[in-house]
Amino acid sequence: MTTTIAQPSYLEGKKGLFSWIFTLDHKRIALLYLYAIIAFFLVGMTLGLLMRLELLNPGKDLVEPTTYNQIFTLHGVIMIFLFIIPSIPAVFGNFFLPLMLGTDDVAFPKLNLLSWWLYVLGAVFALATLVFGDGPADTGWTFYAPYSVKTGTNVTMAVMAAFILGFSSILTGLNFIVTIHRLRTPGMGFNQMPLFAWGLYATSWIQLLATPVIGITLLMIVAERVFGIGLFDPSIGGDPVLYQHMFWIYSHPAVYIMALPAMGIVSEIIPTFAQRTIFGYKAIAYSSMAIAFIGYFVWGHHMFTSGMSGPAAIIFSVLTFLVAIPTAIKVFNWVATLYKGSIDVKPPLLYALAFIFNFLIGGLTGLVNGALAADIHVHDTYFVVGHFHYVMFGGTGFAFFGALHYWFPKIYGKLYNIRMANISFAIFFIGFQLLYFPMLVVGLMGMPRRYYDYLPQFHVPNVVSTVGSWILATGILMMIANLMVAYWKGKKARKNPWHGITLEWQTSSPPPLHNFDKMPEVNEKGPYHYKNAMDQ
Amino acid sequence: MENINTHTPQVAVSQHISSYKLLFTVFAGLILLTILTVLVSTTFTFSVSLAVALALMIASTKALLVAYYFMHLKYEPRFYKWMVIVVLALFTFFVIMLTIDYFTR
Ligand code: HEM
Ligand SMILES: [Cu+2]
Repeated sequence: MTTTIAQPSYLEGKKGLFSWIFTLDHKRIALLYLYAIIAFFLVGMTLGLLMRLELLNPGKDLVEPTTYNQIFTLHGVIMIFLFIIPSIPAVFGNFFLPLMLGTDDVAFPKLNLLSWWLYVLGAVFALATLVFGDGPADTGWTFYAPYSVKTGTNVTMAVMAAFILGFSSILTGLNFIVTIHRLRTPGMGFNQMPLFAWGLYATSWIQLLATPVIGITLLMIVAERVFGIGLFDPSIGGDPVLYQHMFWIYSHPAVYIMALPAMGIVSEIIPTFAQRTIFGYKAIAYSSMAIAFIGYFVWGHHMFTSGMSGPAAIIFSVLTFLVAIPTAIKVFNWVATLYKGSIDVKPPLLYALAFIFNFLIGGLTGLVNGALAADIHVHDTYFVVGHFHYVMFGGTGFAFFGALHYWFPKIYGKLYNIRMANISFAIFFIGFQLLYFPMLVVGLMGMPRRYYDYLPQFHVPNVVSTVGSWILATGILMMIANLMVAYWKGKKARKNPWHGITLEWQTSSPPPLHNFDKMPEVNEKGPYHYKNAMDQ
Repeated sequence: MENINTHTPQVAVSQHISSYKLLFTVFAGLILLTILTVLVSTTFTFSVSLAVALALMIASTKALLVAYYFMHLKYEPRFYKWMVIVVLALFTFFVIMLTIDYFTR
């Protein structure tokens, strides 16, 4: 092997704003997404903190009731469509899928750029509701009819935002499917692919096949608002339950658009920091596909109390429990991978373990919601709010920040302060539990969601939760500050600071524009066969 | 097929060229089916459900013809056919569940 002269990294090379916003390089596009997504996360977080502040005490303190409704809607729309759905695929999928497959870019670089621009356009629409018409929608992020058809707030624009963001998501999915099928480096079959690639593969199919359904559903809302076509509003001949069916036919699979890439991240981090072959590679890979598939058949569990028929509800409840099986398979395999590994507790591993912990709570409370009888009691209470924050934020959110800590040295070629990363993780984690665990409790006590006010008996858990939100925000800001300091002042990172053996670690940090100066060597025994990695 | 660090496929993609005759025959078929749809909607006035069901069946046949001949599904590898089948199966499940919900409410 001859060493070639090092090419300039993708961060050097062309300079200037246009070299970024019109770049076709998957790595630069990934960073465009990263900055946009973190910015929106911080906006969403601010709205969340505002809601928690209003809920510190019973009664009206800060905002009008309608304003509160608009805040939780905007918070939901931003967190779902602008943060969590694009998060891992658009940032880390874009950056690392080609690297992990040993190729130089995604299959359609221009489509990739287009999907970032659609993301920006969708974001502009979402934010424009703040200034146009009668303010942001107050329907909740679910836009349930018939209220969404009747309310005077700017639902049309909010719905168009979600529509456009859907297209961005579809294009990313399409791009990844073709990349995985066509651009794997020689010697890498499907079963030699890293598990993150498998997670993205399963996710991409959902993006491609489910997202169009929400597109058409949202257009139907617009048609009903603008032209008065009676689709969902019973007073003009429509059926509101039909709306809920169509909405959740997409939005349940969408929770796997959030979860599967996160599970892929965990499957990368754990073997690296246990320096051990992953336990049950095929079980993890195929269970991703199984989750994606079963995810299509369970949407009705969101509608147990909304007038759907009894027999349909029973069928959906049974199907829902099936999803628990492939999920449990994964958790079992991660834990088995750690067993007798030489574990090195570094920030990325902490985030991965936090994922497992939080996702377990989120998943088990999900079973409570999925059980037909129990759901009648907890539906539309804070139990549900606690549940989905545990899954989305505690699960995918932690995995996202874990991935950021895992790949930061590769992306920027800099090392961050590990001690600070650990401390901010601890604050973030503790704040998270204080913020959301009380919601599960107060939900079981009967506090309904989506109100600016509550009865005095719910006061104590709400105080704990609000204090938790301050601690969580402190941890997150410290974490981001730590990474920013590292970006400016951090020590130079070596090629492979964590001793990982997937292909992205074989190139320099940060990688050159074309990713690899020499062909990466595929590990024939699979992507996590650590024996031969030890001697480097 | 594998493909090394490049965006041009290594294998020449075999292209199928359909004859005009075939394409026009299919086109004529589509026109006939359209006329049939109109006839069905005017003759089966005694049962709207029947008329809608028949119209939907005709429309599905037309969609299949378009996908098969005009969109070249007929000449594609098996993998693509499976993709279409999976999507159709999912769609069928959606419709079945909606139907169960409506008729047992
Ligand atoms: C950063 C700190 C966060 C805080 C303090 C926070 C707080 C809250 C609160 C209090 C509600 C309930 C509003 C109500 O029902 O009255 C809520 C709703 C919601 N949150 Fe968060 N949240 C945060 C982060 C997130 C994240 C990261 C996500 C997604 C990944 C998310 C997604 C949602 C969604 C979808 C809703 C439901 C909105 C609706 O009812 O339409 N939140 N949040
Ligand atoms: Cu669901």
